[in-house]
Amino acid sequence: MSHKILGVDAYWMNFYGLMILTLIEVLAVGADLGSTAEDLGMTERQITLWILTIIAIPKFIMIAAIFMHLWGENDSGILTLTALFPAFFIIIMVLFIGLTHPDAGIGLPDWCRPGNYGL
Amino acid sequence: MSGGYHDHDDHPSPWGPHDWGHGAPHNSWSPLVMSIGIGVFLLTFGGLFSFGEFDMWYLPLVIVGIAVIGIGLFVWWRQDMSFDGTYEPISTGVPFKHIQIRKVGMWVFLMSEMMIFSSLFSTYMRYRQGIPRCDTIFERGMFDPVTNPEGWQDGVAVTCFEPASHLIASSWFHLAPGAINTFALIISSFTIVQALRWAHKPVGSVDEEVRRKRIYRYLGATTLLATLFLTLKMVEWFIGFPLPEFLHEYNHGDSTIKSLYAEHYLITNDHYSHHSYVDEATGAHMIANIRVSATLFYVTTGTHGLHVLVGIVGLAYLTFKAWTGAYNPQSAVSIEYFGLYWHFVDLVWVLVFPFFYLY
Repeated sequence: MSHKILGVDAYWMNFYGLMILTLIEVLAVGADLGSTAEDLGMTERQITLWILTIIAIPKFIMIAAIFMHLWGENDSGILTLTALFPAFFIIIMVLFIGLTHPDAGIGLPDWCRPGNYGL
Repeated sequence: MSGGYHDHDDHPSPWGPHDWGHGAPHNSWSPLVMSIGIGVFLLTFGGLFSFGEFDMWYLPLVIVGIAVIGIGLFVWWRQDMSFDGTYEPISTGVPFKHIQIRKVGMWVFLMSEMMIFSSLFSTYMRYRQGIPRCDTIFERGMFDPVTNPEGWQDGVAVTCFEPASHLIASSWFHLAPGAINTFALIISSFTIVQALRWAHKPVGSVDEEVRRKRIYRYLGATTLLATLFLTLKMVEWFIGFPLPEFLHEYNHGDSTIKSLYAEHYLITNDHYSHHSYVDEATGAHMIANIRVSATLFYVTTGTHGLHVLVGIVGLAYLTFKAWTGAYNPQSAVSIEYFGLYWHFVDLVWVLVFPFFYLY
């Protein structure tokens, strides 16, 4: 791959980006977000979860697209579709199995709880 | 065989290497041998643990199964690999037309790996949502049948979710091994693409000795970073590390950073007590059953660590080959395909680190 991003070699740019995002991730956990959480009507833990999720998504895409060559190559399209194939099963798992249980979002069935394995 | 290029015997010996002058490899006995090995292994491995009892009489057969799989795999690898990059099988049918078959195979393998980690992640999410957090229960206070029926009682173990991050993210020192590992994996992803880049440089555009040195140094650096990852993992799980005296005050006065093992964050612990679970007013301790939370942490991060270990073996082999000067634009695919695996290991860590170590 000899692509450039903003005039800089794509591998280097990706490397810088990943390092910076990881640093933000670590600092976000140590930061005091109490007042922000209060302003947004959320708990500090929820804010942290949002930040971590928002940072993890671009990191995931950056590694797959640039380091794994899913962007900018002749075979990128079909290989990206191949890579996304498991997402189909994950969606089925979440939508049709996980969320069809009335208490799926927060509860666990009794047989699934610690100490209730039926053994 | 007869007709077309099948006029020649492509496998002069039934177990020998393929004759690469005559097209794609075929007619190998190895998949059949491997299938028999897998069958023997699965049947006998099931017998090892029968109704919770260990039956050692099956163990020799389990080893035979593994050995047969290994032999089949080795022979197949020897038959189908050209080793010098002179023949790279290309797919001729849709949807992967004109793409290297081994590359597609690697992607399909990675997707099966993705399914494994998806199941681990979904289990984690489900339990994390379904079981209340230990610190939430502790903050509710002592058990009171009227005002706080779901609280805790002194000395009685509470079943709750205790994420490892409660310990790990409690101080920068505890977080250090995991954070350094994150940076190590990102740097190792970068060094392996640099090795690939040098292998891809056209012949004549670069001195071959410079190419050889650059590739084995980049691959060697990747191997060292992978080893650092596992070493720090051991430090975090089992060993811990001492702190210089001037840092003790930042660690509650303690001179060492304890490992998760020393902190009793264990899959067998149903009487766990975090240092923050002590009621200052009454001195009462909250005791937690953390078997589910600890199991989820160790199984997921351990599965990832196992992938790193396999990666180290592969990287050591690639580094040795690079040292012998085996890589050039024609044979660079080996680094590319292994690189896909290594980036995948990094990709999984991108999700494991925030959700198991930080949150």
